Amino acid sequence: MDVGSQVTVLYNAPHLMPFQLPIAQYFYFTGLSAGSFVISVIAVLGGKVEYKPLGRIGAILAPLCLVLAPLNLLVDMTQPLRAWHLMTYLPGYVNFKSPITYGVILLTVYPISATIYAYFVYSNNHKMSKFFAIIGIPLAIAVHGYTGFILALGKGRALWNTSLMPTLFIVSAMVSGIALMIIMAIVRNVFLMKNATAEERQKDAKLIHGLGGFLGAAIITDMFLLFNAVLVILTSSKEAFEAAHLLLWGKFSMEFIGIEIVLGSLIPLFIVYYPKTKNSFKWLTFASLLTMIGIFAMRFTVVVGGQSVPLH
Amino acid sequence: MAKELEPSRDGRKRKIRYAMLVDLRRCVGCQSCSVACKSENEVPLGKFRTWVKVIEKGRYPDVSRHFLPSFCNNCAKPICNRNCPVKATYVRDDGIVMVNMHRCIGCMYCMASCPYDVRYINPLRKIVQKCDWCAHRLDAGLLPACVETCLGRALIFGDINDPNSEISQLMSTNPVVTLKPALDTQPHVFYIGADADAMDPTKGIDIDHVHFHEPY
Repeated sequence: MDVGSQVTVLYNAPHLMPFQLPIAQYFYFTGLSAGSFVISVIAVLGGKVEYKPLGRIGAILAPLCLVLAPLNLLVDMTQPLRAWHLMTYLPGYVNFKSPITYGVILLTVYPISATIYAYFVYSNNHKMSKFFAIIGIPLAIAVHGYTGFILALGKGRALWNTSLMPTLFIVSAMVSGIALMIIMAIVRNVFLMKNATAEERQKDAKLIHGLGGFLGAAIITDMFLLFNAVLVILTSSKEAFEAAHLLLWGKFSMEFIGIEIVLGSLIPLFIVYYPKTKNSFKWLTFASLLTMIGIFAMRFTVVVGGQSVPLH
Repeated sequence: MAKELEPSRDGRKRKIRYAMLVDLRRCVGCQSCSVACKSENEVPLGKFRTWVKVIEKGRYPDVSRHFLPSFCNNCAKPICNRNCPVKATYVRDDGIVMVNMHRCIGCMYCMASCPYDVRYINPLRKIVQKCDWCAHRLDAGLLPACVETCLGRALIFGDINDPNSEISQLMSTNPVVTLKPALDTQPHVFYIGADADAMDPTKGIDIDHVHFHEPY
C-alpha cells in the first residue's frame, strides 16, 4: 500500500505569490526591446540601402519598449518611493551579487546607448551608428539575459533554477522582437509608402518576407530550447516534475500547450514557411500577432507557473 | 536562561551560532508558538512568521498525525541575502538573517527565491518581514517567544558552537534532519523525528487547486 497517497494536509500557511503579472509584463517589454534592437543592428551592420528602414524601425522601438518596461517594476514594488536605493551604485548600499543590481546598471546604460544609436541612425551617420550598434549588441543581449538570471537564481523554484533560463529568455526575446518588427514594417509598407514607386515597395516587401523566414528560424530555436527544458524537468526532481505537470497537463496547460506552443509557435511556423501564405502581408501580420501573444503566454507561465508549486 | 546565551562566558572568545532544534517527539501541535509569535512581533492578520503544518496519513486503523513547526531557517548560505539588491537583508554575526525595514524596497525577490516560503509582505508597513528568532529578545537576554511559550518543550534554542548548550548536546546524541538539504542553503532549524510526508511540500495537496491568492 502506498502510504504517500493517503496523506492529507490539515493546516498550512502559504504566503502570497511574490512575482505576478507586472513582472511577466516587464520581461515581455525588455524582450521586445532587446529583440528589435538586435534586428535593427543586424540591418545597420548589413550595410545595404534596402535594409535601412528596418534599422530605423528597430532603433525607435528599442528605447520605446524600454521606457515601458521598468514602469511595471515600479508598479510592482511595495515601496516605489525607495526605488532610488537601487541607483546609488555604492558598494555599501547596493549588493553587487544580486541579479537585480546587474539589471539596474544595464537598465541605466542600455537605454542611453540605444537612444544615442537611434539618433545616429536617423541622422544618417553611418560610422557612429555602426559604432553604437556594436556597443549596443552585448548590452541588449545582457539586458534580457539578466532577466533570465533573476529567475535562474531563484533557487527554490524548480522551474526557474536551470542554466537554460537566460538562453531561453534571449531566444524568446528575439522571437517577439522580430514579430513586432514585422508588424511595424508592414504598417510602414502599407500606410507610409504611398509616394514610393512600385519597385521600391516591392523591394521593401521582399525584405519583410525575409524577416518572416528569420521569425521561423527563431521560433524553431525557441521550441527546441523549450523541448529541452521540459524534457529535463520531467525527470529531475519532485518539484520539477510537479512544475512540468502544471505546464503540460495541469493548471497552466491551456496557456503553455494551447497558447504558447500551438497558437504562438506551430501555427506561425506553418504560416511563415507555407508557400501560399508566406508572401501575404495579411498572413504574416496574423502570424506575428500570434507569436507575440504566444511569447507573452510564455512569460506568464514561466513567472506565475514557476511559483505555483508549493514550497512548504 | 539569559546567562546561558551570553557570549564567551568561559572567558575565551567564541563565535556564537544560534540554531533551533525542534524535537517532534514532544510536539503536540497546539500552535501556541504561532500565537506567541504573532503577539510578540505584531504579525498582521493572515500572515505568519511561525506556523505548524499539520498532516494526517494512513488508512484506518493505521493512522497518525504529524506536525512540522516552521520558522525561518536562518540559513548559513541564505539565498535571500545573496539576491537582495539593496542590502536590506543582512546576516548578523550570530547567524541570524535580518531584514532592515528602512532599506527594504519591496521588490519581493527574496520571497521569490526563498526555498522555504517564510517571508511575507507586511500589508501595513509595506515591506518584507520574516522570523528573525526574536533578535530583539535575544539581545535583551531572553529566549524567542515561541521557545518561551512551547508547552511541551519541543523547541530548543541555543548556540551550537557552545558544546555545553542543551541544543548541542541534543544534536550530538540524536538523529537530526533539515528541510531541503540538497539546496545547500545550510538551514539552521533542525528536526528530530520529522515525518518525510510532512516535509514534502507536494504531498497531500491537489497541486492544480492550491490557492496562492492570485489576483488574476
